[in-house]
Amino acid sequence: MALNLTINSSNPPLGALLAAEHVKGSVNLSVEEGKDTKLYVSDQVQFSDVNSITRYLARVAPALGLYGSNMMEQTEVDHWLEFSARYLCGRSDLSLALLEVDKTLALRTFLVGRSVTLADLSVWAALKGNVESQVKSGSYPHLCRWFSFLSSQVPFSSVGSKWANKIT
Amino acid sequence: SQGVSATVFKGTADLDCLLGKDLGALRDIVINANPSNPPLSLLVLHSLLCQRYRVLSAVHVHSSVTVVAPSLLSCLGPRHTDSYTRHRFELGFTLIWKDVSKLQMKFNTQNMCPIEGEANVARFLYRLLGAEPQDPVLATQMDSWIDTAVFQLAEGSGKEQAAVLRSLNGALGRSPWLLGQEFSLADIVSACCVLQANNCTSAPPNVQRWLKSCQNLGHFNCAYELLH
Repeated sequence: MALNLTINSSNPPLGALLAAEHVKGSVNLSVEEGKDTKLYVSDQVQFSDVNSITRYLARVAPALGLYGSNMMEQTEVDHWLEFSARYLCGRSDLSLALLEVDKTLALRTFLVGRSVTLADLSVWAALKGNVESQVKSGSYPHLCRWFSFLSSQVPFSSVGSKWANKIT
Repeated sequence: SQGVSATVFKGTADLDCLLGKDLGALRDIVINANPSNPPLSLLVLHSLLCQRYRVLSAVHVHSSVTVVAPSLLSCLGPRHTDSYTRHRFELGFTLIWKDVSKLQMKFNTQNMCPIEGEANVARFLYRLLGAEPQDPVLATQMDSWIDTAVFQLAEGSGKEQAAVLRSLNGALGRSPWLLGQEFSLADIVSACCVLQANNCTSAPPNVQRWLKSCQNLGHFNCAYELLH
């Protein structure tokens, strides 16, 4: 059964777009531009908030490990999903939150575990386009390394160049 | 104080499978919570964990807090008389009343970052019960209800709260529990947020009936005791 993701093109949800790009080889998923962001699963089931969309996509492609590889990693992913919704999205003063992310990344390549997860997707998406200059300011060396590393990889690079300038 | 608790989850969960091999030390879940906002959903989950595992529970008061109500000190039940025999327990559950702005859990801190937010700690404790839905739709609907309860019911405006109560009432008109025929974490977190928002008496009829069903399970006793 095909999934359909409609995205609000005037305020593109980068996290959902990244998750869609990650799972597209494993899941039959089409992406369209529209007025509202919504993942259509069936007539009875639709998800419209970004965290639910990314959680669902991660769960239908379990082999990719986007939701972590054990229950402790899953819980860390949950922590970062709420963290980015609460402290990064739409906030004016991010310095404390950025310090927190920087501290976490001091000894880590990815936010959770040893490969990319929804935690990286949602935190990167919250920072891309909004506060890139702050991230690269020199105050957050580990965050800056992680951000540049992800930004240079597909699909972060393609999603970033296609959508980040459309963020309002 | 546990009363007649119904066995709600029948699956078997093995901690070694869920958490990796036990290295000999007690697996201790340490939760820092602010006494001005007691985490009711975690108390319900504690009761469920006690039904499944031998849990060594303890309540402490951090020096950042001066006065804590007696009901908060006894919220995990009576003190264990054999707490010196830590090896006889499978799981530690340590609740520390502390002046924190956001609830946090520390567990296996060498590998795991501190987890913030009552909902995320609740998800962790629920996974320990091995009761998470396997179906991606159900699992995501469960998370979606939890997010709605936490962001819109517990922290939202009066208007947002009313909207959530309406959607809860609609869902509970179609099935006994939020995910259908099975009680889940969505019910635990949402019911606790309704109770905490003091909406129980003004809540719409299906919500009231559902709160009663939750209460009948027995595991909400500790939460109700704190509210009165």
